[in-house]
Amino acid sequence: MTNDFTWHKVSEEEKEEIKKKAKKIMDDFSSKLEGLNLEKEGSIIRGNGIREDEKNFDKISREIMFSNAKQKNADFIIAEKKRW
Amino acid sequence: MVTLNHLKECLEKIKKENKEINAIIELRNEKDLIKEAEEIDKKIKEKKAGLLAGKIICIKANICIEGMHTSCASKVLENYISPYDATVIKKIKKEDGLIIGYCNQDEFACGGSGETSAFGPTKNPVNKTLIPGGSSSGSAAAVAAGFCDIALGSDTGGSIRNPASFCGIVGIKPTYGSVSRYGLIDLSMSLDQIGPLAKNVSDAALMLSIINGKDSLDSISEESKKINLEKINQTPKKLKVGILDFEIKDKRISELIENKTKEISKKNNWEIEKIKIENLDLAVETYYPLVYVEIFSGTRKFDGRKYGEEIENSAGPEVLRRILGGSEITKSEYGGRYYNKALKAKELIKEEFKEVFKKFDCIICPAVPRLPWKIGEKISVEEGYAADVLTIPANLAEICAGVVPVGKIEEIPVGIQIMCNKFEEEKLLSICKSFE
Repeated sequence: MTNDFTWHKVSEEEKEEIKKKAKKIMDDFSSKLEGLNLEKEGSIIRGNGIREDEKNFDKISREIMFSNAKQKNADFIIAEKKRW
Repeated sequence: MVTLNHLKECLEKIKKENKEINAIIELRNEKDLIKEAEEIDKKIKEKKAGLLAGKIICIKANICIEGMHTSCASKVLENYISPYDATVIKKIKKEDGLIIGYCNQDEFACGGSGETSAFGPTKNPVNKTLIPGGSSSGSAAAVAAGFCDIALGSDTGGSIRNPASFCGIVGIKPTYGSVSRYGLIDLSMSLDQIGPLAKNVSDAALMLSIINGKDSLDSISEESKKINLEKINQTPKKLKVGILDFEIKDKRISELIENKTKEISKKNNWEIEKIKIENLDLAVETYYPLVYVEIFSGTRKFDGRKYGEEIENSAGPEVLRRILGGSEITKSEYGGRYYNKALKAKELIKEEFKEVFKKFDCIICPAVPRLPWKIGEKISVEEGYAADVLTIPANLAEICAGVVPVGKIEEIPVGIQIMCNKFEEEKLLSICKSFE
Protein backbone atom coordinates (compact mmCIF):
# COMPACT_ATOMS: atom_id res chain seq x y z
CA MET A 1 0.00 0.00 0.00
CA THR A 2 1.30 3.47 -0.84
CA ASN A 3 0.10 7.02 -0.36
CA ASP A 4 1.31 10.53 -1.31
CA PHE A 5 4.08 10.29 1.28
CA THR A 6 5.51 6.82 0.56
CA TRP A 7 8.98 6.99 -0.94
CA HIS A 8 9.26 6.00 -4.59
CA LYS A 9 11.28 7.06 -7.60
CA VAL A 10 9.55 10.09 -9.05
CA SER A 11 9.11 10.44 -12.82
CA GLU A 12 9.41 13.75 -14.68
CA GLU A 13 5.62 13.79 -15.24
CA GLU A 14 4.97 13.21 -11.55
CA LYS A 15 7.43 16.01 -10.67
CA GLU A 16 5.31 18.42 -12.73
CA GLU A 17 2.17 17.26 -10.90
CA ILE A 18 3.91 17.61 -7.53
CA LYS A 19 5.06 21.13 -8.41
CA LYS A 20 1.54 22.22 -9.35
CA LYS A 21 0.04 20.67 -6.23
CA ALA A 22 2.71 22.25 -4.01
CA LYS A 23 2.05 25.70 -5.48
CA LYS A 24 -1.67 25.23 -4.90
CA ILE A 25 -1.07 24.28 -1.27
CA MET A 26 1.12 27.35 -0.81
CA ASP A 27 -1.52 29.58 -2.43
CA ASP A 28 -4.22 28.18 -0.16
CA PHE A 29 -2.06 28.59 2.94
CA SER A 30 -1.00 32.09 1.98
CA SER A 31 -4.58 33.20 1.36
CA LYS A 32 -5.55 32.00 4.84
CA LEU A 33 -2.92 34.34 6.32
CA GLU A 34 -4.48 37.30 4.46
CA GLY A 35 -6.86 38.13 7.30
CA LEU A 36 -4.11 38.51 9.90
CA ASN A 37 -2.92 41.86 11.13
CA LEU A 38 0.65 41.59 9.91
CA GLU A 39 1.89 45.09 10.49
CA LYS A 40 5.07 44.01 12.27
CA GLU A 41 8.31 43.48 10.39
CA GLY A 42 9.16 39.82 9.94
CA SER A 43 12.94 39.93 10.09
CA ILE A 44 14.79 39.07 13.28
CA ILE A 45 18.36 40.05 14.07
CA ARG A 46 20.07 37.77 16.55
CA GLY A 47 23.24 39.04 18.23
CA ASN A 48 25.82 40.47 15.89
CA GLY A 49 25.27 37.75 13.30
CA ILE A 50 28.97 36.92 13.15
CA ARG A 51 29.93 33.31 13.66
CA GLU A 52 32.87 33.01 16.03
CA ASP A 53 34.50 30.02 14.45
CA GLU A 54 37.90 31.39 13.53
CA LYS A 55 39.57 29.25 16.13
CA ASN A 56 38.09 26.11 14.58
CA PHE A 57 38.81 27.10 11.02
CA ASP A 58 41.98 24.99 10.72
CA LYS A 59 39.96 21.85 11.31
CA ILE A 60 37.84 22.39 8.20
CA SER A 61 40.59 21.20 5.93
CA ARG A 62 40.55 20.64 2.20
CA GLU A 63 40.62 16.93 2.96
CA ILE A 64 37.36 17.17 4.91
CA MET A 65 35.74 19.48 2.37
CA PHE A 66 36.53 17.17 -0.53
CA SER A 67 36.12 13.85 1.26
CA ASN A 68 32.77 13.01 -0.36
CA ALA A 69 33.24 14.62 -3.77
CA LYS A 70 32.87 12.25 -6.69
CA GLN A 71 35.46 13.87 -8.95
CA LYS A 72 38.29 15.96 -7.61
CA ASN A 73 41.96 16.74 -7.95
CA ALA A 74 44.26 18.16 -5.31
CA ASP A 75 42.75 21.63 -5.43
CA PHE A 76 39.32 21.48 -7.04
CA ILE A 77 36.04 19.66 -7.17
CA ILE A 78 35.57 18.75 -10.82
CA ALA A 79 32.13 19.54 -12.20
CA GLU A 80 30.65 18.32 -15.47
CA LYS A 81 30.72 20.72 -18.43
CA LYS A 82 27.72 22.76 -19.56
CA ARG A 83 25.51 22.07 -16.51
CA TRP A 84 27.44 24.15 -13.98
CA MET B 1 30.10 -5.30 32.94
CA VAL B 2 27.06 -3.02 33.18
CA THR B 3 27.56 -1.45 29.76
CA LEU B 4 28.70 -4.62 28.03
CA ASN B 5 25.79 -6.70 29.30
CA HIS B 6 23.30 -3.99 28.43
CA LEU B 7 24.85 -3.58 24.97
CA LYS B 8 24.49 -7.33 24.37
CA GLU B 9 20.81 -7.20 25.38
CA CYS B 10 20.16 -4.33 22.98
CA LEU B 11 22.06 -5.95 20.11
CA GLU B 12 20.14 -9.17 20.66
CA LYS B 13 16.83 -7.31 20.39
CA ILE B 14 18.00 -5.45 17.29
CA LYS B 15 19.05 -8.68 15.58
CA LYS B 16 15.72 -10.27 16.42
CA GLU B 17 13.30 -7.41 15.70
CA ASN B 18 14.86 -4.67 13.60
CA LYS B 19 14.34 -6.50 10.32
CA GLU B 20 10.61 -6.02 10.81
CA ILE B 21 10.52 -2.66 12.64
CA ASN B 22 13.22 -1.02 10.46
CA ALA B 23 14.13 1.52 13.12
CA ILE B 24 17.90 1.28 12.70
CA ILE B 25 19.50 1.77 9.31
CA GLU B 26 23.17 1.58 10.24
CA LEU B 27 24.67 -0.34 13.13
CA ARG B 28 28.30 0.11 14.12
CA ASN B 29 30.72 -2.80 13.97
CA GLU B 30 29.96 -5.17 16.86
CA LYS B 31 33.62 -5.74 17.78
CA ASP B 32 34.19 -1.97 18.08
CA LEU B 33 31.07 -1.61 20.21
CA ILE B 34 32.13 -4.41 22.58
CA LYS B 35 35.60 -2.89 22.91
CA GLU B 36 34.10 0.53 23.69
CA ALA B 37 31.64 -0.97 26.19
CA GLU B 38 34.52 -2.71 27.99
CA GLU B 39 36.45 0.58 28.15
CA ILE B 40 33.40 2.36 29.60
CA ASP B 41 32.95 -0.42 32.18
CA LYS B 42 36.59 -0.07 33.17
CA LYS B 43 36.01 3.66 33.72
CA ILE B 44 32.89 2.89 35.78
CA LYS B 45 34.92 0.53 37.97
CA GLU B 46 37.59 3.19 38.43
CA LYS B 47 34.88 5.81 39.15
CA LYS B 48 36.11 7.92 36.25
CA ALA B 49 33.12 7.44 33.95
CA GLY B 50 31.04 10.23 32.41
CA LEU B 51 27.37 10.91 33.12
CA LEU B 52 26.11 8.80 30.20
CA ALA B 53 28.15 5.71 31.05
CA GLY B 54 26.05 2.57 30.71
CA LYS B 55 23.51 4.21 28.39
CA ILE B 56 23.00 2.81 24.89
CA ILE B 57 22.28 5.56 22.40
CA CYS B 58 20.99 5.80 18.82
CA ILE B 59 21.10 8.88 16.60
CA LYS B 60 18.80 10.22 13.88
CA ALA B 61 20.52 9.88 10.51
CA ASN B 62 20.64 13.65 9.93
CA ILE B 63 23.14 14.32 12.75
CA CYS B 64 26.77 13.89 11.68
CA ILE B 65 28.86 11.13 13.27
CA GLU B 66 32.40 10.90 11.95
CA GLY B 67 32.94 7.87 9.73
CA MET B 68 29.25 6.95 9.48
CA HIS B 69 26.67 7.32 6.70
CA THR B 70 24.74 10.47 7.55
CA SER B 71 22.21 9.67 4.86
CA CYS B 72 19.11 11.54 6.13
CA ALA B 73 17.38 8.31 4.99
CA SER B 74 17.80 9.49 1.42
CA LYS B 75 19.30 8.08 -1.76
CA VAL B 76 20.83 11.56 -2.18
CA LEU B 77 23.27 11.00 0.68
CA GLU B 78 23.26 7.18 0.74
CA ASN B 79 27.04 7.04 0.30
CA TYR B 80 27.92 10.20 2.21
CA ILE B 81 30.35 9.56 5.05
CA SER B 82 30.50 12.31 7.61
CA PRO B 83 34.01 13.71 8.03
CA TYR B 84 33.28 15.16 11.47
CA ASP B 85 31.17 14.84 14.63
CA ALA B 86 28.26 17.18 15.33
CA THR B 87 28.65 19.14 18.57
CA VAL B 88 25.97 17.02 20.30
CA ILE B 89 27.85 13.83 19.32
CA LYS B 90 31.10 15.19 20.76
CA LYS B 91 29.28 15.95 24.02
CA ILE B 92 27.75 12.45 24.20
CA LYS B 93 31.09 10.78 23.55
CA LYS B 94 32.77 12.96 26.17
CA GLU B 95 30.26 11.71 28.75
CA ASP B 96 30.82 8.05 27.76
CA GLY B 97 27.47 7.47 26.07
CA LEU B 98 27.73 4.45 23.78
CA ILE B 99 26.41 5.39 20.33
CA ILE B 100 25.51 2.21 18.47
CA GLY B 101 24.02 3.39 15.20
CA TYR B 102 21.85 5.53 12.99
CA CYS B 103 18.06 5.55 13.09
CA ASN B 104 15.67 5.60 10.18
CA GLN B 105 13.70 8.82 9.64
CA ASP B 106 11.51 10.59 7.15
CA GLU B 107 13.71 11.59 4.22
CA PHE B 108 15.54 14.84 5.10
CA ALA B 109 13.08 15.09 8.04
CA CYS B 110 10.25 15.81 5.57
CA GLY B 111 7.24 13.94 6.92
CA GLY B 112 5.32 13.08 10.02
CA SER B 113 4.81 9.37 9.52
CA GLY B 114 8.13 7.64 8.88
CA GLU B 115 6.86 6.60 5.45
CA THR B 116 8.97 8.97 3.36
CA SER B 117 12.28 7.21 4.11
CA ALA B 118 14.09 5.91 1.04
CA PHE B 119 15.06 2.89 3.15
CA GLY B 120 11.48 1.82 3.74
CA PRO B 121 8.96 2.82 6.39
CA THR B 122 9.55 2.25 10.08
CA LYS B 123 6.87 0.27 11.91
CA ASN B 124 5.41 1.26 15.26
CA PRO B 125 6.66 -1.30 17.84
CA VAL B 126 3.37 -0.96 19.74
CA ASN B 127 1.34 -2.07 16.71
CA LYS B 128 3.38 -2.97 13.66
CA THR B 129 0.61 -2.17 11.18
CA LEU B 130 0.72 1.49 12.22
CA ILE B 131 3.06 4.37 11.50
CA PRO B 132 5.39 5.35 14.36
CA GLY B 133 5.04 9.05 13.53
CA GLY B 134 7.87 11.22 12.32
CA SER B 135 10.09 12.55 11.23
CA SER B 136 12.24 11.03 14.01
CA SER B 137 10.45 7.73 13.33
CA GLY B 138 13.39 5.38 13.86
CA SER B 139 14.57 7.23 16.98
CA ALA B 140 11.17 6.80 18.65
CA ALA B 141 10.71 3.22 17.46
CA ALA B 142 14.24 2.25 18.58
CA VAL B 143 13.55 3.51 22.11
CA ALA B 144 10.06 1.95 22.24
CA ALA B 145 11.38 -1.41 21.00
CA GLY B 146 14.16 -1.44 23.61
CA PHE B 147 16.98 -1.20 21.04
CA CYS B 148 18.52 1.65 23.05
CA ASP B 149 17.90 3.77 26.17
CA ILE B 150 17.99 7.20 24.57
CA ALA B 151 17.89 8.45 21.01
CA LEU B 152 18.47 11.86 19.50
CA GLY B 153 15.97 13.30 17.07
CA SER B 154 15.39 16.68 15.48
CA ASP B 155 12.19 18.68 15.77
CA THR B 156 11.18 21.32 13.23
CA GLY B 157 7.39 21.15 13.60
CA GLY B 158 6.89 18.20 15.94
CA SER B 159 9.33 15.59 14.67
CA ILE B 160 10.35 14.50 18.16
CA ARG B 161 7.01 14.94 19.93
CA ASN B 162 4.76 13.36 17.30
CA PRO B 163 6.57 9.96 17.19
CA ALA B 164 7.10 10.06 20.97
CA SER B 165 3.32 10.27 21.36
CA PHE B 166 2.55 7.52 18.83
CA CYS B 167 5.18 5.15 20.26
CA GLY B 168 4.37 5.78 23.93
CA ILE B 169 7.69 7.31 25.00
CA VAL B 170 9.04 10.67 26.22
CA GLY B 171 10.25 13.31 23.74
CA ILE B 172 11.60 16.79 24.43
CA LYS B 173 11.90 19.67 21.98
CA PRO B 174 14.24 22.16 23.63
CA THR B 175 14.07 25.94 23.28
CA TYR B 176 15.25 27.19 19.89
CA GLY B 177 18.93 28.01 20.21
CA SER B 178 19.53 26.03 23.41
CA VAL B 179 21.11 22.97 21.77
CA SER B 180 23.78 23.35 19.08
CA ARG B 181 22.73 22.32 15.56
CA TYR B 182 26.32 22.28 14.30
CA GLY B 183 26.48 19.04 12.32
CA LEU B 184 22.71 18.73 11.88
CA ILE B 185 21.69 18.49 8.23
CA ASP B 186 18.97 21.10 8.25
CA LEU B 187 15.35 21.03 7.18
CA SER B 188 14.46 24.58 8.18
CA MET B 189 17.18 26.47 10.00
CA SER B 190 14.84 29.01 11.60
CA LEU B 191 12.91 26.22 13.34
CA ASP B 192 15.13 23.10 13.69
CA GLN B 193 16.15 21.87 17.13
CA ILE B 194 17.87 18.68 18.28
CA GLY B 195 16.39 16.91 21.32
CA PRO B 196 16.17 13.59 23.20
CA LEU B 197 13.69 10.71 23.05
CA ALA B 198 13.74 8.24 25.94
CA LYS B 199 11.71 5.65 27.84
CA ASN B 200 11.44 7.98 30.85
CA VAL B 201 11.75 11.65 31.79
CA SER B 202 14.94 11.08 33.83
CA ASP B 203 16.88 9.73 30.83
CA ALA B 204 15.57 12.49 28.56
CA ALA B 205 16.54 15.10 31.17
CA LEU B 206 19.99 13.57 31.60
CA MET B 207 20.63 13.70 27.86
CA LEU B 208 19.30 17.25 27.55
CA SER B 209 21.47 18.44 30.44
CA ILE B 210 24.50 17.20 28.51
CA ILE B 211 23.73 18.39 24.98
CA ASN B 212 22.42 21.88 25.76
CA GLY B 213 24.55 24.99 26.01
CA LYS B 214 26.01 27.69 23.80
CA ASP B 215 28.19 26.70 20.87
CA SER B 216 30.13 29.23 18.82
CA LEU B 217 29.72 26.96 15.78
CA ASP B 218 25.96 27.50 15.70
CA SER B 219 25.34 31.20 15.14
CA ILE B 220 21.87 31.22 16.73
CA SER B 221 23.01 29.28 19.79
CA GLU B 222 22.35 30.97 23.13
CA GLU B 223 23.51 30.39 26.67
CA SER B 224 20.77 28.54 28.56
CA LYS B 225 20.13 27.86 32.22
CA LYS B 226 21.93 24.75 33.47
CA ILE B 227 19.49 21.91 34.14
CA ASN B 228 19.61 20.70 37.74
CA LEU B 229 18.63 17.03 37.55
CA GLU B 230 17.76 16.83 41.25
CA LYS B 231 15.21 19.64 40.92
CA ILE B 232 13.39 17.70 38.20
CA ASN B 233 12.33 15.13 40.79
CA GLN B 234 10.63 17.80 42.91
CA THR B 235 6.97 18.31 42.00
CA PRO B 236 6.43 22.01 41.25
CA LYS B 237 4.21 23.89 43.69
CA LYS B 238 1.85 26.77 42.95
CA LEU B 239 1.63 26.11 39.27
CA LYS B 240 -0.80 27.87 36.97
CA VAL B 241 -1.68 25.51 34.16
CA GLY B 242 -3.37 26.58 30.93
CA ILE B 243 -5.37 23.87 29.16
CA LEU B 244 -5.46 24.77 25.50
CA ASP B 245 -8.97 25.33 24.21
CA PHE B 246 -8.62 23.94 20.71
CA GLU B 247 -11.17 21.76 18.99
CA ILE B 248 -9.99 18.46 17.53
CA LYS B 249 -12.00 15.81 15.74
CA ASP B 250 -11.12 12.87 17.98
CA LYS B 251 -12.82 13.86 21.24
CA ARG B 252 -11.43 10.78 22.98
CA ILE B 253 -7.95 12.31 22.77
CA SER B 254 -8.96 15.74 24.13
CA GLU B 255 -10.98 14.11 26.95
CA LEU B 256 -8.09 11.88 27.94
CA ILE B 257 -5.68 14.83 28.08
CA GLU B 258 -8.10 17.07 29.96
CA ASN B 259 -8.98 14.40 32.53
CA LYS B 260 -5.33 13.56 33.14
CA THR B 261 -4.48 17.25 33.56
CA LYS B 262 -7.31 17.72 36.04
CA GLU B 263 -6.26 14.61 37.98
CA ILE B 264 -2.59 15.63 38.29
CA SER B 265 -3.44 19.29 38.97
CA LYS B 266 -5.84 18.32 41.77
CA LYS B 267 -3.26 16.01 43.31
CA ASN B 268 -0.63 18.78 43.32
CA ASN B 269 -2.89 21.73 44.08
CA TRP B 270 -2.19 23.39 40.75
CA GLU B 271 -4.53 26.04 39.42
CA ILE B 272 -6.00 25.25 36.01
CA GLU B 273 -7.74 27.38 33.44
CA LYS B 274 -8.82 26.93 29.83
CA ILE B 275 -6.98 29.25 27.46
CA LYS B 276 -7.39 30.23 23.84
CA ILE B 277 -4.52 31.28 21.61
CA GLU B 278 -6.04 33.39 18.89
CA ASN B 279 -4.12 32.46 15.74
CA LEU B 280 -3.20 28.91 16.64
CA ASP B 281 -5.43 27.54 13.88
CA LEU B 282 -3.10 29.24 11.36
CA ALA B 283 0.03 27.50 12.64
CA VAL B 284 0.13 24.99 9.77
CA GLU B 285 -0.43 27.72 7.17
CA THR B 286 2.38 29.77 8.74
CA TYR B 287 4.81 26.90 9.12
CA TYR B 288 4.83 25.25 5.71
CA PRO B 289 5.77 28.28 3.56
CA LEU B 290 8.75 28.82 5.91
CA VAL B 291 9.77 25.18 5.59
CA TYR B 292 9.27 25.05 1.81
CA VAL B 293 11.48 28.11 1.27
CA GLU B 294 14.16 27.15 3.78
CA ILE B 295 14.52 23.55 2.60
CA PHE B 296 14.71 24.75 -1.00
CA SER B 297 17.47 27.16 -0.03
CA GLY B 298 19.25 24.69 2.26
CA THR B 299 19.36 21.88 -0.28
CA ARG B 300 21.02 23.85 -3.08
CA LYS B 301 24.27 22.32 -1.85
CA PHE B 302 23.06 18.87 -2.89
CA ASP B 303 24.06 19.31 -6.50
CA GLY B 304 25.81 15.95 -6.83
CA ARG B 305 29.26 17.53 -7.02
CA LYS B 306 30.56 18.11 -3.50
CA TYR B 307 28.68 15.12 -2.09
CA GLY B 308 25.94 12.65 -2.89
CA GLU B 309 23.51 12.77 -5.79
CA GLU B 310 21.61 15.69 -7.22
CA ILE B 311 18.59 16.07 -4.96
CA GLU B 312 16.03 16.83 -7.70
CA ASN B 313 16.85 13.49 -9.35
CA SER B 314 17.11 11.29 -6.30
CA ALA B 315 14.64 12.42 -3.64
CA GLY B 316 11.18 10.99 -2.99
CA PRO B 317 7.83 12.76 -3.45
CA GLU B 318 7.55 14.64 -0.13
CA VAL B 319 11.05 16.14 -0.32
CA LEU B 320 10.40 17.10 -3.94
CA ARG B 321 7.04 18.65 -3.03
CA ARG B 322 8.77 20.95 -0.57
CA ILE B 323 11.75 21.75 -2.80
CA LEU B 324 9.74 22.32 -5.97
CA GLY B 325 7.10 24.27 -4.03
CA GLY B 326 9.85 26.33 -2.40
CA SER B 327 11.40 26.98 -5.80
CA GLU B 328 8.04 28.18 -7.14
CA ILE B 329 7.19 30.59 -4.32
CA THR B 330 10.67 32.15 -4.19
CA LYS B 331 10.53 33.23 -7.83
CA SER B 332 11.42 36.90 -8.17
CA GLU B 333 7.97 37.71 -9.56
CA TYR B 334 6.50 37.08 -6.08
CA GLY B 335 9.05 39.35 -4.37
CA GLY B 336 9.30 37.14 -1.28
CA ARG B 337 5.57 37.61 -0.57
CA TYR B 338 4.88 34.06 0.69
CA TYR B 339 7.91 33.86 2.97
CA ASN B 340 7.59 37.37 4.38
CA LYS B 341 3.93 36.91 5.17
CA ALA B 342 4.67 33.64 6.96
CA LEU B 343 7.55 35.23 8.89
CA LYS B 344 5.26 37.99 10.10
CA ALA B 345 2.57 35.48 11.08
CA LYS B 346 5.24 33.56 13.01
CA GLU B 347 6.12 36.69 14.98
CA LEU B 348 2.42 37.25 15.73
CA ILE B 349 2.01 33.71 17.12
CA LYS B 350 5.25 34.09 19.08
CA GLU B 351 3.93 37.29 20.68
CA GLU B 352 0.68 35.54 21.63
CA PHE B 353 2.62 32.84 23.45
CA LYS B 354 4.73 35.47 25.20
CA GLU B 355 1.53 37.04 26.55
CA VAL B 356 0.16 33.68 27.73
CA PHE B 357 3.38 32.90 29.61
CA LYS B 358 3.05 36.15 31.55
CA LYS B 359 0.07 34.55 33.30
CA PHE B 360 0.67 30.79 33.03
CA ASP B 361 3.54 28.45 33.90
CA CYS B 362 2.72 25.96 31.18
CA ILE B 363 0.26 25.17 28.41
CA ILE B 364 -1.12 21.66 28.06
CA CYS B 365 -2.73 19.98 25.05
CA PRO B 366 -2.53 16.71 23.12
CA ALA B 367 0.65 16.17 21.11
CA VAL B 368 -1.21 14.97 18.03
CA PRO B 369 -4.92 15.52 17.27
CA ARG B 370 -5.38 12.00 15.88
CA LEU B 371 -4.26 8.42 16.38
CA PRO B 372 -1.56 7.00 14.08
CA TRP B 373 -2.79 5.73 10.75
CA LYS B 374 -2.00 2.44 9.03
CA ILE B 375 1.25 2.35 7.05
CA GLY B 376 0.44 3.20 3.42
CA GLU B 377 -3.12 4.32 4.24
CA LYS B 378 -4.40 6.90 1.79
CA ILE B 379 -4.39 10.33 3.40
CA SER B 380 -4.13 13.63 1.59
CA VAL B 381 -1.09 15.91 1.84
CA GLU B 382 -3.19 18.50 3.66
CA GLU B 383 -4.43 15.89 6.17
CA GLY B 384 -0.87 14.77 6.79
CA TYR B 385 0.25 18.36 7.37
CA ALA B 386 -2.72 19.02 9.68
CA ALA B 387 -1.49 16.31 12.06
CA ASP B 388 1.25 18.79 13.09
CA VAL B 389 -1.17 21.53 14.17
CA LEU B 390 -0.54 21.14 17.90
CA THR B 391 3.24 20.65 17.75
CA ILE B 392 4.14 23.40 15.22
CA PRO B 393 3.24 26.31 17.58
CA ALA B 394 6.14 25.53 19.96
CA ASN B 395 8.56 25.75 17.04
CA LEU B 396 7.07 29.00 15.80
CA ALA B 397 7.17 30.45 19.33
CA GLU B 398 10.73 29.08 19.84
CA ILE B 399 9.73 27.70 23.26
CA CYS B 400 10.41 24.29 24.85
CA ALA B 401 7.87 21.47 24.84
CA GLY B 402 7.74 17.87 25.94
CA VAL B 403 5.55 14.82 25.42
CA VAL B 404 4.84 12.13 28.02
CA PRO B 405 2.60 9.07 27.51
CA VAL B 406 -0.55 9.34 29.65
CA GLY B 407 -2.90 6.65 28.44
CA LYS B 408 -4.16 4.52 25.59
CA ILE B 409 -7.06 4.61 23.14
CA GLU B 410 -7.74 1.38 21.25
CA GLU B 411 -4.49 0.07 22.79
CA ILE B 412 -2.57 2.90 21.06
CA PRO B 413 -0.49 5.23 23.25
CA VAL B 414 -1.50 8.88 23.57
CA GLY B 415 0.95 11.55 24.67
CA ILE B 416 0.26 14.74 26.57
CA GLN B 417 2.13 17.82 25.39
CA ILE B 418 3.45 20.34 27.91
CA MET B 419 4.81 23.67 26.67
CA CYS B 420 6.86 26.09 28.78
CA ASN B 421 8.42 29.45 28.09
CA LYS B 422 11.85 29.86 26.46
CA PHE B 423 14.74 28.37 28.46
CA GLU B 424 12.41 26.93 31.13
CA GLU B 425 13.48 23.35 30.45
CA GLU B 426 13.97 22.59 34.14
CA LYS B 427 10.37 23.56 34.91
CA LEU B 428 9.15 21.66 31.82
CA LEU B 429 10.96 18.48 32.83
CA SER B 430 9.66 18.62 36.41
CA ILE B 431 6.08 19.01 35.11
CA CYS B 432 6.66 16.13 32.67
CA LYS B 433 7.90 14.04 35.60
CA SER B 434 4.67 14.77 37.51
CA PHE B 435 2.67 13.26 34.63
CA GLU B 436 4.89 10.20 34.27
